[in-house]
Amino acid sequence: MNRLVIWYGELAGTRPLTLRGLALIALPLVWIAVMLLAPLGAMALWAFATRGPLGEVQWTWSLENFRRLAGYDRFGWTGAYLAIFGRTMLVSAVTTALTVAISYPLAFFIATRPPVGRYLLLTLVIIPFCTNLVIRTYAWMLLLGNQMPFARLAQSLGLIEPAKALYPSTFALYVGMVSNSLPFAVLPLYTNVEKLDWGIVEASQDLYARPLGTFLHAILPQTLPGLATALILTFIPAMGAFVIPDILGGGKSWLLGNLIQHQFGVSRDFPFGAAVSLVLTLLTLAVFAAARRRDESSILP
Amino acid sequence: MNRRLHPAVPAVSLTAMGLLYLPLLAVAAVSLNASRYSVRWAGFSLRWYARLAANDLVLEAARNTLVLALASTLIATLLGTALALGLRRFPWPRWFSGLLDSFVYIPVVTPDIVFAVGLLLAFETARAAFPGLRLGLGTMIVAHVTFQISFVALVVASRLATIGRTVEEAARDLYAGSWYTLRHVTLPLLAPGIVAAALLAFTLSIDDFVISFFTSGPTSVTLPIYIYGSLRRGITPEVHALSTVIFLVTVLLVVLLQLVLRSPKEE
Amino acid sequence: MKRMPWLIALAVLASGCSRTAGSLSVFMWSEYIDPALVERFEKQAGVKVALDTYENTETMMSKVASAGGQYDVVVMSDHAVRTMIKKGLLEPLDPAKIPNAVNVSARFRDPAYDPGGRYSLPYQWGTMGLVYRTDKLPDFRPSWAAVLDPGAQPGPVVLLDSMRDLMAAALLLRAASPNTRDAGELAEAGKTLLAARTGRLLGFYGSPDSVDKVLSGDAWVGIAYNGDALVKLDENTDFALPEEGTIVWVDALTIPAGSRNTEKAHAFINFLLDGEVGAALSNYLAYATPNEASLPLIEEEMRSDPRIYPAEAELARSAMLEDVEEATTLYDQIWTRVKAAR
Repeated sequence: MNRLVIWYGELAGTRPLTLRGLALIALPLVWIAVMLLAPLGAMALWAFATRGPLGEVQWTWSLENFRRLAGYDRFGWTGAYLAIFGRTMLVSAVTTALTVAISYPLAFFIATRPPVGRYLLLTLVIIPFCTNLVIRTYAWMLLLGNQMPFARLAQSLGLIEPAKALYPSTFALYVGMVSNSLPFAVLPLYTNVEKLDWGIVEASQDLYARPLGTFLHAILPQTLPGLATALILTFIPAMGAFVIPDILGGGKSWLLGNLIQHQFGVSRDFPFGAAVSLVLTLLTLAVFAAARRRDESSILP
Repeated sequence: MNRRLHPAVPAVSLTAMGLLYLPLLAVAAVSLNASRYSVRWAGFSLRWYARLAANDLVLEAARNTLVLALASTLIATLLGTALALGLRRFPWPRWFSGLLDSFVYIPVVTPDIVFAVGLLLAFETARAAFPGLRLGLGTMIVAHVTFQISFVALVVASRLATIGRTVEEAARDLYAGSWYTLRHVTLPLLAPGIVAAALLAFTLSIDDFVISFFTSGPTSVTLPIYIYGSLRRGITPEVHALSTVIFLVTVLLVVLLQLVLRSPKEE
Repeated sequence: MKRMPWLIALAVLASGCSRTAGSLSVFMWSEYIDPALVERFEKQAGVKVALDTYENTETMMSKVASAGGQYDVVVMSDHAVRTMIKKGLLEPLDPAKIPNAVNVSARFRDPAYDPGGRYSLPYQWGTMGLVYRTDKLPDFRPSWAAVLDPGAQPGPVVLLDSMRDLMAAALLLRAASPNTRDAGELAEAGKTLLAARTGRLLGFYGSPDSVDKVLSGDAWVGIAYNGDALVKLDENTDFALPEEGTIVWVDALTIPAGSRNTEKAHAFINFLLDGEVGAALSNYLAYATPNEASLPLIEEEMRSDPRIYPAEAELARSAMLEDVEEATTLYDQIWTRVKAAR
């Protein structure tokens, strides 16, 4: 049906407008559909195949990979796979919590500077994020080495044994994960905090609320959309991490990312790797759906 | 600004900035160390940079990284801008634009590794149909564009929202045709946003490791892949120098980005 | 002015795409050849050599499988050779073009991984063993138990982050073959590895990093390949082969199927097998040469060093890794259990 509308000052039929619009969005959408959805589809397909003796793929329709993920491999039942899942969720959750805990004050700090200072600080926050992940991670390796001041300090405080480095360790893992996620949390929180209604905050302070109370009741509700975005952009990438756990965590305890990577490297078991990735995707979607329910508005401006 | 901030706020902020910068500064410091062993300071020296400049492998990796980033940014900026314009400047019914929003958001929320795995498997499957298909720079460019489009669209859409309807409507009142409006009104106003989006896409491509790692071919080693390999094999100080160079280039780019964002045309 | 970005992009793209036609493309482990030798070959044969490197075998296999024709010479591990032969990814070597092949020692002439030596010729070989601190462990008895037995770990240890190699160590400790396909034996090896995860275990590292950890004092014992250890040892560290036996690895020269430069590829392989060149190579790398004609030219220090050239008796106790085919999944599953544990 071709109605006439006034759209951005132009008198036009809806049909030509629709066609024009479709022309613009067609190619990008098709690109995303083909290059993203098709691969995800391929992955879902491969998850049901199995590995042949020489590492090639065998197109059998089998649930063997999923059974293995549930713990039932050729040697009986093992808790290893569930442990991997559990540990991944735990690491992601702790990383997210720590990151958000640090990002809130930082976002506030930036929002309360004069405009020039704000731009400068935002730029400073973005720059490390633009440097490559591998570089940042091994920079931490360097910094946490046993001769560097931080390790020396910990040694003298008796926190670690003498001549030991601060990595690999759970501490190093979290340091790496949190510093990797900071910019993703700070930026969405900042955009929210900048538009904060300070009147409410001041009112809460005038009413003698303690800082925690002010935060919980005056600030947090207003920053929920930014918080939701920050949570998503921190938790989801953390679930797929493998470089940081590998290098800073010491490769002692696998996360999902390590398990997946191994299948595409050493063991050449693509189907199993696909199965693990599929489960990871479903988990991601679940997290995403949960976070979205808390905030109905679209994240696009 | 007279906000009463809890004293913990600046303290934590400083720690956070420290978390972000200390490692990079450590790398830069070590790259200038004449000694091969990081922690014994043996004097200031640029020899690792000299060795870097003579290292053919690294130069080739750098060239691959650059080609990849430039090509993918170019394509993604075009497609992403078109997508943003199509999304926001046309009267879609609410359900459709909601659907499109979600669709655009998928690349942003998919974990890198899942996307990389999917791409690898898709290429493997495609190779059954087209045996000539090879993993290489071309496949990496395609992969990068896919996730860049969404980010570009997000940034440009945000800019479109800032511009608002008034200017375009004014142009129409003056009898400007839609193509003319696009070329001479919308796009120039949009320019800072497009440039910002392009710079963002560029840095995303340079930053990417996981996707390149899974979809690279023998002739398309990029800098992050080279560095990761060195990590496994044993770090030489040239890698420190390399990282510092990359860091400095990034700083330059981001400063450019901010300058463009704050260009006087916008005020 | 508006065209500038396009022009720049095109120029960069163009420069990136050109690979000098006729150059020899070589793929091997990183830092595995003396650049001076490469230059020598380039001058001698009048061809440019483009050297690509890789960090782990599986990556190499995927790359050669998906783009074999782009490489002319590939240096790969023994078990990789076997798999590649089975997949039909290697070009048979033409003995007429490699007269220096007669230099190869008898032991490497007809290897299990390449019967008849039709597709490969050995490049370097070595062993895997224990690198340890002599100042902390003056009476060190080299045994896999030093890293794997919770009761015998003398101090902080590191394990090798390589599935087949580390499982081989566990299997050898349990007196089983490193190439076993028996689920029972593998399960035992798995239990050994799990038990090794004591508080003294720092982590799983690659060979060069393990050596570094022992050098820096973070660990007292680690597992490493002999070459990686020997180039870095100092007065407080040493390397030894465990009494239960170990893995002998051979890296071999191959030509992938589809290579377009087979003439020059053969020439390069022939060059490397020359007695004098082979000696120069091994003297540089500190690995052992499979080349009989090179042995007299090896530096005396290295030639008499049992850590590079182990005694016959020790070699008899050692084995080469083979592709275990369908049993790979079994190894995988054990490895996952080991790596996923707390």
